[in-house]
Amino acid sequence: MADTTVSKSSKYVLPDRRNALMAVLSDRRYLPAILLIPVLVFFLVWNTIPLLWLLGLSFHNYSLTSGQDPRFVGFQNFIRIFQDWQVWYDLSRTLLFVFVGVSLQTILGILLGLLFWGSAKLPGRRLALTLLFAPMILTPVATGNFFRLIYDPTFGVLNAMIRALGFDSIDFLGNASTAFWAVLAVDVWMWTPFLVLMTLAALGSVPKAELEAAEVDRLPWLQRLRLIVFYHGKFILMLGILLRTIDSFKTMDLVLQMTRGGPGSSTKLVAVTLYRQAFDSFNLGWSSALAVFLLLISIAFTATFIFVLNLRRQRGQS
Amino acid sequence: MSDGWRQHLYHALLWLVALFFFSPVAWIILSSFKTADDILAVPPKLFFEPTLENYVALFERNAFLQQLTNSIVLSVCAVLIAVTVSFLAAFCFSRFKPRGTDFLMFLLLSIRMLPATAVILPVFLMYVAFGWKNEPIGIVLFYAMFSIPFSVWILKGFIDGVSPRFDETALVNGASYWHVIFRVILPQVRPGLIAAFIFNLIFVWNEAVFNFIIGGIDTHNIPVALWTGAYADGGVDWAFIATMTSVYLIPPVIFIYFFQKYLLVGMTFGTVRGEV
Repeated sequence: MADTTVSKSSKYVLPDRRNALMAVLSDRRYLPAILLIPVLVFFLVWNTIPLLWLLGLSFHNYSLTSGQDPRFVGFQNFIRIFQDWQVWYDLSRTLLFVFVGVSLQTILGILLGLLFWGSAKLPGRRLALTLLFAPMILTPVATGNFFRLIYDPTFGVLNAMIRALGFDSIDFLGNASTAFWAVLAVDVWMWTPFLVLMTLAALGSVPKAELEAAEVDRLPWLQRLRLIVFYHGKFILMLGILLRTIDSFKTMDLVLQMTRGGPGSSTKLVAVTLYRQAFDSFNLGWSSALAVFLLLISIAFTATFIFVLNLRRQRGQS
Repeated sequence: MSDGWRQHLYHALLWLVALFFFSPVAWIILSSFKTADDILAVPPKLFFEPTLENYVALFERNAFLQQLTNSIVLSVCAVLIAVTVSFLAAFCFSRFKPRGTDFLMFLLLSIRMLPATAVILPVFLMYVAFGWKNEPIGIVLFYAMFSIPFSVWILKGFIDGVSPRFDETALVNGASYWHVIFRVILPQVRPGLIAAFIFNLIFVWNEAVFNFIIGGIDTHNIPVALWTGAYADGGVDWAFIATMTSVYLIPPVIFIYFFQKYLLVGMTFGTVRGEV
């Protein structure tokens, strides 16, 4: 009995290193746990505990400005949110933002991606792509800040162009009817390159042999796109669209920089509402409840994402 | 001949598209070389006398070097911790497949998908309660946590791509598992490590909200400075914003230029692999 354990462990442990700690560290039985512990600690301390805290707080009436201790109020915060028509407005505004933004990004991204499909011989391709992808890697704080100047009715370069064309300048961000679309345009500018990237990846996953076969068979190009390119590329494209949807749903820093949700509440996306309730008004109980609500939505999005990812795996592409 | 001509036209078009997307960024960079008066000139000046005084002023600002150091230290430390920890976990998920692997991977990814405020609000309360607010180490660890999901996903994908036969060969020859992890697997997933490193670095580099909420004066990085310090002399200090942004933009752009082949895996949280 004793013999077998020794021979079993000596298979994995170098004989000269066999002190107690190394034996534990190298034991095949404990190894998975040892490898996982650091991540689980991070997960527990910075995620599980805070999320439970959030959940607990969402059942309390707690505001940092009132100076009172949290008071348990049951589901009252949730009921207040569900009855608050402003939250529903913010939510529907967010959905409009996500839907229009992601649709535009997808359409533009696919068109530009197809345009860039044959760019292998482009002189300075790497630099061109770097310039194209620059909007995504610029810090959103800077983007949002500087677009205030670009949109400015007097000093902005955009309005200078509009005036040069003979129109009156437009106060894009100061006007409730244009602010939403102005912010949306910046979002589209920032993230269309991402869908160009995803389209290029999708096109890259199409087997060359099938395209050549289609060339030989003289398949019309629309059918070529539908039967070969779309058939192979659709999963990557779908993953890209889903990632954008998830990301766009939580758009916050851009709006905070550009308009802080105004004028009025014309650019108040639901993530901005949450931020302002939590850190401008310190209305913590209420905003925790809203956060829990948004968490559930995001988790549903993520589940969809994983579902598509697994679909793709099952099809044997990876 | 006409074919070559069409090729040139096509290439010119592609460059135009790229430049169009870059133009607002170019405008920022251009503005950083203007005097404060030139920035607010009506109509805006495309041609002007370039000046370096904004850069001189920027580097003479007291807080700037501190904030730049914060940016570098926070992002490098957080990402190093995250990638190390994630590499071990990814090896575990890939090779031992403990029960609940799929569920854990899902949970990890969903952290990354949550709205920033929902994540930071309870962490803020926790940090205030424990006195960790305004502690650099607290922010580093939080950023590390936020970088872990993505690193685990990216690295698991790469480790899955290494055949287990390598492990078996090493084990049969008497190597320990640690030898397998660091000497057999690690060299083969170097691209994954680089991708995880770079894209988490860019994320932490550009992050402002978390730092603003759970940090303090001592931990503020450049994005926070752009957020809070943009006002001077009763107006927005555009020269400052433009200059700071231009300086700050350099590292990510260099990364994207030299590591373009990792861009795809990096921007999709490691779920899609391939090159563009």
